[in-house]
This record gives sequence, C-alpha cells and structure tokens, in this order.
Amino acid sequence: MLPLSIKDDEYKPAKFNLLLKLSSWFRSILADKTSRNLFSFLCLNLSFAFVELTYGIWSNSLGLISDSFHMFFDCTALLAGLAASVISRWRSNDSFSYGYVRAEVLAGFVNGLFLIFTAFFIFSEGVERALEPPDVHHERLLPVSVAGLLVNLVGIFVFQHGGHGHSHGEEVSLVWTRSDNITDFLYGLWSVSVCVFVSVCVCLSLSLIIFFFFSVPDQYTPGKGSSKQILQGVLLHIMADTLGSVGVIISALLMQKYDLMIADPICSMLIALLIGVSVVPLLRESIGILMQRTPPSLDHVLPECYQRVQQLQGVYNLQEPHFWTLCTDVYIGTLKLLVAPDADTRWILSQTHHIFTQAGVRQLYVQIDMAAM
Amino acid sequence: MACGPNRVRLLCMLSLTFGYFIVEVVVSRITSSLSMLSDSFHMLSDVIALVVALVAVRFAEKTRATNKNTFGWIRAEVMGALVNAVFLTALCFTIVLEAIERFTEPREIDSPVLVATVGAVGLLVNLLGLCMFHGHAGGGHGHSHGGHSHGSKNKKAKTSQNAGNGSTVDETNNLVGNHNSPGEGRPTNELNCNDDTEVQMNGNTHYEEMDAQQDSSQLNMRGVFLHVLGDALGSVIVVINSLIFLFVWRPCGSDKDCVNPCVYDHDSHLPVNQTMLPMKSAGPCWVLYLDPTLCLFMVTILLYTTYPLLKESALILLQTVPKQINIHRLNERLQRLNGVLAIHDLHIWQLAGSRIIATAHIKCHDPTSYMEVAKRIKDFFHNEGIHATTIQPEFVTFSSQSRDSLCELSCQTQCAPKLCCGTADKQSSEKKVSGDSRSGAADPVCPESEAKVTVTKEAESSL
Repeated sequence: MLPLSIKDDEYKPAKFNLLLKLSSWFRSILADKTSRNLFSFLCLNLSFAFVELTYGIWSNSLGLISDSFHMFFDCTALLAGLAASVISRWRSNDSFSYGYVRAEVLAGFVNGLFLIFTAFFIFSEGVERALEPPDVHHERLLPVSVAGLLVNLVGIFVFQHGGHGHSHGEEVSLVWTRSDNITDFLYGLWSVSVCVFVSVCVCLSLSLIIFFFFSVPDQYTPGKGSSKQILQGVLLHIMADTLGSVGVIISALLMQKYDLMIADPICSMLIALLIGVSVVPLLRESIGILMQRTPPSLDHVLPECYQRVQQLQGVYNLQEPHFWTLCTDVYIGTLKLLVAPDADTRWILSQTHHIFTQAGVRQLYVQIDMAAM
Repeated sequence: MACGPNRVRLLCMLSLTFGYFIVEVVVSRITSSLSMLSDSFHMLSDVIALVVALVAVRFAEKTRATNKNTFGWIRAEVMGALVNAVFLTALCFTIVLEAIERFTEPREIDSPVLVATVGAVGLLVNLLGLCMFHGHAGGGHGHSHGGHSHGSKNKKAKTSQNAGNGSTVDETNNLVGNHNSPGEGRPTNELNCNDDTEVQMNGNTHYEEMDAQQDSSQLNMRGVFLHVLGDALGSVIVVINSLIFLFVWRPCGSDKDCVNPCVYDHDSHLPVNQTMLPMKSAGPCWVLYLDPTLCLFMVTILLYTTYPLLKESALILLQTVPKQINIHRLNERLQRLNGVLAIHDLHIWQLAGSRIIATAHIKCHDPTSYMEVAKRIKDFFHNEGIHATTIQPEFVTFSSQSRDSLCELSCQTQCAPKLCCGTADKQSSEKKVSGDSRSGAADPVCPESEAKVTVTKEAESSL
C-alpha cells in the first residue's frame, strides 16, 4: 500500500505569509536603535494627526482638517526614512548585487525634495495671504498648538537634536486667529476638555516611546554612519517645524503689540526661505553620491595614492580611475594599470590594494593591461 | 544634433508656460480670485519642473569626465526624472488635500466665464506641450540596445584584435571623454554634443554616443511629459467644471430671501422648519462636489502614470542590475569560458540609459595566459551589451587548488571585514593565515602584513 501523504505546506493560505512578512518587518524595525526611534516618533506624529483630524471633523473647522493633512504629509517623510532604514539592511540578491544600501541616500534625497516642496508651498500660501487676507475663523487652535509644542519637545528628547512638531500650514492660520483665540480660550470649558483629551493622547504616545526605549534591548549596533542621511533628513524636517513655531510666536507678538497685520505672511515667507536654505547641504551631499561623484573626503588623498601606485615597479601608467560612494563611508573604486610585460602582477595588485585600503577604499577593482613590447 | 531638439522644445515650453503664469497672476489680481492665484502657483511648479529638466539636459551633455565627476554628468538625467516624479507625487498629494477641503466646505466659483476662458487658454498651452513632447512618451524609441550593439560589436571585435592594449581605451571612450592622467582637468565644452575626439578612436562610437544619450534623455523627457499631462488634465477639469457651473448652477445673487443649503454657514443658525415659507435656494448641490471628485480622478490617473517612472529612476539610482540582464546566467556563461577558473564579486549596474558598467574578480591560471583570457572576457561582455568593464585578475597560488571560489588576496583576520571579497572567505582565510608570521597585533593598518605574507609566498613559489 502506497502511503498517501498530503503536504499541507504547499497549500498555505496567502494571508499567513503576509502576517509573517509584517512581523518580520516589525522585528527588523525594533532591532535597530535608529529605526526604533523613527518608528516611535512616527507613531506619535500619526496619533497626533488623527486626534487633530477627528477634532477638526467634529467641530467642522477647516483649518484643523487641513493642518492634520499637512501633518500626514510630514508623516510620509518619516515613513520614507523608516522604510529606508529597514530596506538598507536587507541582504543582496540577484537584482541588487550591492544590496540595498543606497536606499538611505535616496531617502535623504527624497526627504530633501519634499522639504523644498513644502517650503515652496508655504511661500505660495504666504503670498496668497499677503495679497488677500483671509476671513478670521473662530477656530480653537490654541490648545492644539500647545499640544504641538509638546510633541516638538518630545521630539527633541527622542532625537537628541531636534523636535518634530506640528506642521507649517497651521502657523499661517494660527496667527490670524490669535486675537480671537485669547477670547475663545477665555470662554470655552470644552476647549479645556479638548486640551485634556489631547494631552492624554500625548502621554499615551510618550509612554509607548518609553516602553520601546527601555524594554527592547539593542541586538546589534549599526555602524555610525549608516543612517546618517536618513537622520539628517528627519532632523531637517524637525528643524523646519521648530522654525515654524518660533516664527508664529514672533509674528503673533508683532501683531498684538504693533498691530502689523502684514507680519504673518512675511513670517511664512521668511520661514520658507530658511527651510529652503537649510536643506541645501543635504541635497548637495545626496546629489553628489547619486551622481557617482568622487567622495569628497577622498579628494585630497587620491592624487597621492595615484602617485604611489605609479611609482611601483613595473607600472607604466594609471588610467581611468573611478571612485564613488556606495553609501556613507563605503567607497568603491576601479582603475586600470598599464604594466610592463615582465612585471610581477600579483605583487602590483596586492600593493595597489594596500595603498587604497589605507585611503579607505575597501572595494577596489584593478585591471591589469600589459603593454605590448 | 541630438541635443538640439530637446533643448529647443524645453525652452519653448518653458517660455510659454512662464508667460501664461504671468498672465494668470495678473488676471487673479484684477479679479481678486483666489482659485486663479492657486492655479497660477500650479503653473509655477510646472515651470520649475521644466527648469529642472532643462538643467538636467544641459548637465548631461557634459559627458566628459572631470576631476570630481569621473563619469561625467550623465546621471543628471536620471536625477532630473526622479526629481520630476517626486514633485508630481507631492503635487498630487496637495491636490488631494485641497479636494478634501472642498468636500468638507464646498465653494462656489465667483466668475465662471473668466475661469472658463483662462482654463481654455491653459489647456491650449498644455496641449501644445503634449504634442511637442509626445514623441518621448514612454516607449517612443525602440532603441533596444541588444539590437543595436550587434551591429557595432562586429566592428568592435575587429578593432580590438588589431590594437593590443588600445581596446581598453576604446571602450571607455564610449563611456566618457577620457583623460589620461588623473591630475589633468580639461575644461568642458558645453555646446559640443557629439564629441569629435571620441569619434577618432572608433567609427561607431559616434552612433553609440547618440543612442545612449537619447535613451537616457528619454527618462527625463518622460518626466516632463507626465508633468505637462498632469497640467493638461487640470486645465480640462477647470474648463469642464466652470462650464457645468455656468449652465447648471442657479446662483443666489443678491436676493435676501435666498439661502444656500449646500454650504454650512457658521453664523446663521437657521432651523430647518417646514412651516416657514418656501425660500429660494441655490442650485443643485452636486455641482459643488463635482470639482473635488474630478480632481481625485485626475490624481489617480497621474499617480498611475507616474509610478513606473519613479520606480525606474529609483532602481537605476539604487545600483540595481539592469532588468534586461540575467546575472545568474551571465555568471554561468562566464565561468564556462576557457581559462576562467572562478568569478566572484561580479557587479553590474547601469550608469544611465544604455550605459552599463560591470566589475568582477576573475581567477586565472597565470599572468602569461592572462591577456588572451582578458580579451575573451571583454568580448563576452561586449556581446551582452556591457561596454565598460573592469576585470581584476587573480592568479592561482600553489596552495589553493581546492578553494576555487575564494579571493586570492589573502589577509589576516582583522582585515577580513575590510576586504573587497565578502564574508565567505573569512573562515578559510583565518585558517590559512594562522600559521603565518604576524606583525604586531596592535597594528591597525593590516594590509602591510598582508603584502609581506604575499611576498613571502611568492618568494617560496619561485624557489
């Protein structure tokens, strides 16, 4: 009798694989400190945005709804950074012979582009409001802005550098309602309850972050430079928001004390310019890497190395050197050496590798061309 | 000239769009219409996209290598395409935001006639742009490099047999303008599209240059085309919306009795009371919701068409193996070549368009037979369409008959993570060098001892 065996493995439902994939991603996020931070901050931001959205729909306030969507827009930048930090750790395969390490450079670049777009958007909104002052809405934005500043402070604590607060579109509408807000704030009992509700949410997210910080151990520490681009992009986003908050406060003061209505649009335009200017270094670096430029840190070292290689015995000439950055601190180089037919190729090869490894180029491809006699 | 038409088209479109942007701004100031102002900013973003594409085209013409950019600026076009795609996505996002705002708080159009005419003029401008860039829309040129390289490879094989070491200079002349010594920096000639010095080496380099340039600029032009398409769709929606508004909507006018049921008014809290006199109400409410719905529809179309461009340019920038190359099969066929013992660290990536670069370590028997093996390998890669290759030879030492796939550049353990060859050799190299003499363990520059080890081995082998 032939044994009848049904292999259940082949008939697994697709849903099981999805759960498996999700859990493996989640584990991967929790493993690395940077991605843990990003994830917790993303959760905080998302929860705050949802709170704002629900409150806005409930009180039918246009400014709050649009501001919550601006926050979602910022969340996508955080999401891009998180995705990049997870993806860049995947192993190489047939399609990606270098692995996925370039993802972080790309994420930094895309973040920079989003920031420029946001700056452009704020600038255009500022121009619109300067040319046509909007109606003053009765919106209770003060408790929301207080909570936003809280989120900013949490961000400062989490990332140890900057904080990510509420988004920029809000500041523009905030100032116009400033004079109304004081009266509103003095009025409503329920605005205080909203405040309480929002701070409860903030505390909840804070506790989530603390839980992540102290409960999950560091399984392995990544190289220091490996997430530099991502963090730089996120940090710039945070700085942009901080600038926004500062600008709002300044313009509100100007408006209340000196009654300068024009202060608000001018502030938004200044903020937009500042954001644009601050993004330039990140963009320049990522563009340099993506354009296969010679690594800037090697700019002075390389001519020296070329000289040393050309002085090796048997080497006639060094041709077509190409050195480029794969990702932060990983440099790859190719070059061609014209050697005498009787030269000791093995020795030349190992010496060349030695010279360039001292300079910091780990992956080197040296092609040997023998000169015709 | 290959560069000419693209630049001319871009400049034309740029001037048209910019002029139209000025017109919209002026009209919006005259009529003090906010929607016109926001639409003019959309036009401004279009101008910026065109500027980005133009800059990318200008940069990518500088195919000569410079001191800092040894590959030239060819990648600029891929970057231009990515920037355009990302801007389009961000623009779609903001349109979604505005559409949702309109859903929650519908707004009437103040002067539909004016909006309709301005929208129609904008549509004309965009249709003109679409016609200009239509030739570059996805899949316009069927320049499969496989087909093209067959024509040139025969000639290339002949010339590479003639010149001994000139063949290496040949290939990279195809790729970038060559500069021999690293210390020199030649000034780039911007207007020189077809580089004459590159033609002199090989007659058909000229065609490859043009073809490669067209292929990579195709990506950039696709980005521009998609942007103009998005704008055209936007103008279509503006026109349709304003026309429907003009003919279907019954406005309230200056009637005091009229109330607008579609717009939730914060101030007036009128109770819905059936016993009151029937008031006049403004026109059918669905008209106000037409605009955001059409906007969402347009956003889905745009995202659907932008996604392939985004994916393609991102994959190139992530250094993927080009999709037309099967690296596994290539590896197998390479290993079957005469004289090739093993291959490792094979990397193939795309610089831009059809310019593909490959690097590998190849293990061979000895230096004397190496030059023929090298020629065979180069020809093999040329057949595949990869014209810029750097092959590092590694020669078998007397002791490593059994471990064919491992790196020959031996190293002590602390160098292993820094080696070009991966972790596969880590354990075996540990075993290998355990018997060798080691210099001070505190020495951070380990390859020094590596050189010594190799030298001693060679001294032994020569005995």
